[in-house]
Amino acid sequence: MTNYIIETKQLTKLFGNQKAVNNVNLHVKKGRIYGLLGRNGAGKTTIMKMILGLTSITSGEVDVFGKNIKGREKQVYPRIGAIIETPGFYPNLTGTENLEIFAKLRGTPAPNAVKNALEVVGLPYKDKKLFSEYSLGMKQRLGIANAILHDPELLILDEPTNGLDPIGIAEVRDFIKNLSVERGKTVLISSHILSEISLLADDIGIIDHGVLLEESSMEELRRKNGNYILLHVSDVSKATLILERQFGLKDYSVHDDHMLRIYDTSLDMASVNKALMLDEVSVISSQLCNDTLEDYFRKITGGDGIA
Amino acid sequence: MLKLIQIEFLKLRRRKFVWMMMLSALIMPFLAFLLFKYAWTADGDPRQFYKWSAFGFTLWIILPVVLGILSTMLMYNENQYDMLKQLWIVPVSKMRYFFSKFFVVLIYAVCFMMVTFISSVMFSVLLEDIALDWGNVLFLMKKCLESGVIIAFVILPILAIATTQKGYILPVSITLVYALLGFIIMPINMYLSPVSSMAVIVARNGDIPGLVFTQAMNIPLAFLCILVWDMISVLLANIALGKRN
Repeated sequence: MTNYIIETKQLTKLFGNQKAVNNVNLHVKKGRIYGLLGRNGAGKTTIMKMILGLTSITSGEVDVFGKNIKGREKQVYPRIGAIIETPGFYPNLTGTENLEIFAKLRGTPAPNAVKNALEVVGLPYKDKKLFSEYSLGMKQRLGIANAILHDPELLILDEPTNGLDPIGIAEVRDFIKNLSVERGKTVLISSHILSEISLLADDIGIIDHGVLLEESSMEELRRKNGNYILLHVSDVSKATLILERQFGLKDYSVHDDHMLRIYDTSLDMASVNKALMLDEVSVISSQLCNDTLEDYFRKITGGDGIA
Repeated sequence: MLKLIQIEFLKLRRRKFVWMMMLSALIMPFLAFLLFKYAWTADGDPRQFYKWSAFGFTLWIILPVVLGILSTMLMYNENQYDMLKQLWIVPVSKMRYFFSKFFVVLIYAVCFMMVTFISSVMFSVLLEDIALDWGNVLFLMKKCLESGVIIAFVILPILAIATTQKGYILPVSITLVYALLGFIIMPINMYLSPVSSMAVIVARNGDIPGLVFTQAMNIPLAFLCILVWDMISVLLANIALGKRN
């Protein structure tokens, strides 16, 4: 039995001749927040729509709760809460009335479900304000309230903080975090804003032009992209041997035949240089580097675009 | 299904235009009253009056147009504001969704014809030369109920067209053409258009004065015409809703 709540296998979507999603293998673990990061048009929404069965899959598979979603949508939907693109509601009804409609449709048993959902997102219950009079931020909050109305195990949120002000973004971030930490919900969230994903996600998938470029935990990604010493030497294998034996160093990675990264920046570099030179390893250069996540994303996506 | 129909009515809250359209049921009874009061005479026959108040323009023009607009309005919000994907992941079955709208149209049509019935009776009472005859009142009620039910099926193609469109203009324009086409086609073939087929069914006993058909009456063929159009409509709606994700 897999521990993945969502798993996609070679997921591909073609629009005409254009590949919107290309062989994506996504793994969303139970109880964690998975951030899908990519520029606008990278294929995030299409992946989410395919997971939800809202658009056909050209090839590949989607497993949700351990089973293929195809043909099982009706059993799976009650366990999922989702916002896809901008959430729409009935403009002639209030927020409460809109949620009451969805609660009725879902047959939500909890009597206070609507009130609780509105409280979570900070919207008033039984307010007279019509949805047509809502600001973009309020509309987004109501969309989130609708997604959590039936207390689902899995939340699929497509850019849920779009249109929210900075305080609103922080609030939404906090309650998504709480849903995961305190109530064990699994969350798949997409965004084109790096800072938002890096503050919220436990795991991250970076997508560009429909291709999943990287999938790892945030912890691993931070470790790879924090401070490190970039050492340029004549013989990497000999150098690593010396570092391990004489300095007990284990936290390093070999970049190529002449470069290695040392993640323990407290290392005495003067002693390292001396030891290497004594064993006839030339040190061409050594420098302290500090890559930010943004630099890393720029590098792997091959350009700008992720704020 | 009952829950879905109830929800459809909840969605119509504060949509005053929907309920104001119901007032158009009073137009023909009132005009008929004026005509029979000041210009014509019914010679004591209430059916002459009912023909104008309930079976004339009300049934063939006003109600089809009103139901066409209603059908468009029922579909408009969800299409315009991209709400359908939210409904599909509830999940709401696409066909149940479509038929719940149809039942709203059906209930509205029956209510409309009941308003027509009540107002026709009330205005006829105000006319001096028409006596209140319970036999004729029951006849009118039966015909109004019957027409209200049949016209909902007749208008199903407009509801299906409304599922394919995001805007108002095309479905409403098609409604006008659809209603008028029923009249234009009638002398050529009564069994091509659901509107003219409805006329055949409603006037099958020849009990609506002044309604004369140029072709032989064939009730099963009239039902078949409506059935074929409705089946095509359901198919169209199914395809259109399937594409709306």
